[in-house]
Amino acid sequence: MSSAIAQVVAGSAFVIGAALLAWRYELGLARPLVTAAVRAGVQLAAVGALIALVFRVPVLAIAFVAVMATTAALTSGSRLRALPAARRAAAVAIAIPALSATVILLAVGAFSWTPRAAIPTAGILIGGAMSATTLTGRRLLEALDTGGDELETRLSLGDAARRALAPFTRQAIQTGLIPVIDQTRSVGLVALPGTFVGLLLGGASPASAARLQFTVLVALLAVELLSAAIVAELIARACIRPGERIVLPAEAAAAPPAVAPG
Amino acid sequence: MGSEGDPVGLEVRELSIARRGRAVLRGASLTVRRRRVTVIVAPSGAGKSTLLRCCNGLLAPDSGEILLDGAPLASLEATALRRRVGLVGQLPVMLHGTVAENLAYGLSEHDDRSERALTRALEEAGLDAGFLARPAQALSGGERARVALARALTRGPELLLLDEPTAALDGAIAARIGETLRRLAHTDGLGILLATHDLAFAATIADDAVALRDGRAVEGAPDEVLAAAEAAARAGRSAHAAPTSEAAP
Repeated sequence: MSSAIAQVVAGSAFVIGAALLAWRYELGLARPLVTAAVRAGVQLAAVGALIALVFRVPVLAIAFVAVMATTAALTSGSRLRALPAARRAAAVAIAIPALSATVILLAVGAFSWTPRAAIPTAGILIGGAMSATTLTGRRLLEALDTGGDELETRLSLGDAARRALAPFTRQAIQTGLIPVIDQTRSVGLVALPGTFVGLLLGGASPASAARLQFTVLVALLAVELLSAAIVAELIARACIRPGERIVLPAEAAAAPPAVAPG
Repeated sequence: MGSEGDPVGLEVRELSIARRGRAVLRGASLTVRRRRVTVIVAPSGAGKSTLLRCCNGLLAPDSGEILLDGAPLASLEATALRRRVGLVGQLPVMLHGTVAENLAYGLSEHDDRSERALTRALEEAGLDAGFLARPAQALSGGERARVALARALTRGPELLLLDEPTAALDGAIAARIGETLRRLAHTDGLGILLATHDLAFAATIADDAVALRDGRAVEGAPDEVLAAAEAAARAGRSAHAAPTSEAAP
């Protein structure tokens, strides 16, 4: 049996085993498990075919990365609905750090200027940026939603609006970075990351795989921090009104913009 | 004690503001004089808190204006305005840290941040120096209310806005806070604007009184305003108890 057939058979066996287990314990997850697996298979087959096309026509790589960034922005934006123009904010917070870092990594020669290198690199960085944007944005919006009294207290005590918001944004950024910090700290100890595994399976030496994985991980740290900071800044800007006033996103959506006192 | 000739601190002119789509204030006008305690009485939801927050610059009115010593609030630097016009909210929020850190929060090197100054502010609010080192977020509701008052005082305000300051206090402590507020007005010269629906407390402290009705402010002699508020509250209670009576809409 060829390795390709063996991979499909083994994968299918795992899905069937998991579905049987879910059915046996009446978890109600048998159908979702199978559906998710089939969907993943179809999506990966489509992406594989698309990437094969991109490899033949390299200029399509730009469109491919643009689609990834747009999808990430739409996904993250849908999680930040309380924020006006959430999708645009998510697009800025994701695209600027992720694409800048991709270009820097390619420009300094860390990866080659080929679709084969650029697409996975951009994909990893866009995915990380999306995660940080969503986590930070949601945490900040939730904190502002419940922290109106504290914000007013800080303003009443003479804080400028930006200073009053600072503890909220700081806390949200810290929360947004927990996954990538934990991932970086535990790399190789808890799980072998995807880039490393992919390179090993592709025939690279362990030293080369480790070096590239390290580069991606530290780039991710910087990208996610920047994404978190950008989305926090955009949310803060959406809250601040003239006269050092703060209008919370939910309140702003329910009322017309505040005007300066007469 | 102050008199009606005392200088005007805050002047609210034809103030209107809607909150969450509902008109809360509709052309409210009133005056807050220095050296006097002005009490606003009104039922819950009548716009007392909204009015106080407008006076502190936290909310921008839809129309009308507020003057501080004759200058429109819009022309003043917001952070400086809020130090000059202190606000103690209805739900006093304690920031993370000790009581001393709360009292000193936001004070600059030009302010008196000494332990003596913080203790003096605490004592004004009816607490002693033993509270300075206590974690502020572990205080009871009444203690928080008093620390919030002390925290506003450490900024050396010229005017003080208080939203239901006795809501979490027992009678004896409320009376002591009342004495402090009267002394701050009559001796130290502060102008105080205090919103409450505790009419008994209001009667002990008011130099001037204002009732909020249908979004408008009705100024008058304290005994008249408080008597009218008491009658309105009684009518409201009767209507609530007997919804078929004539008083019920």
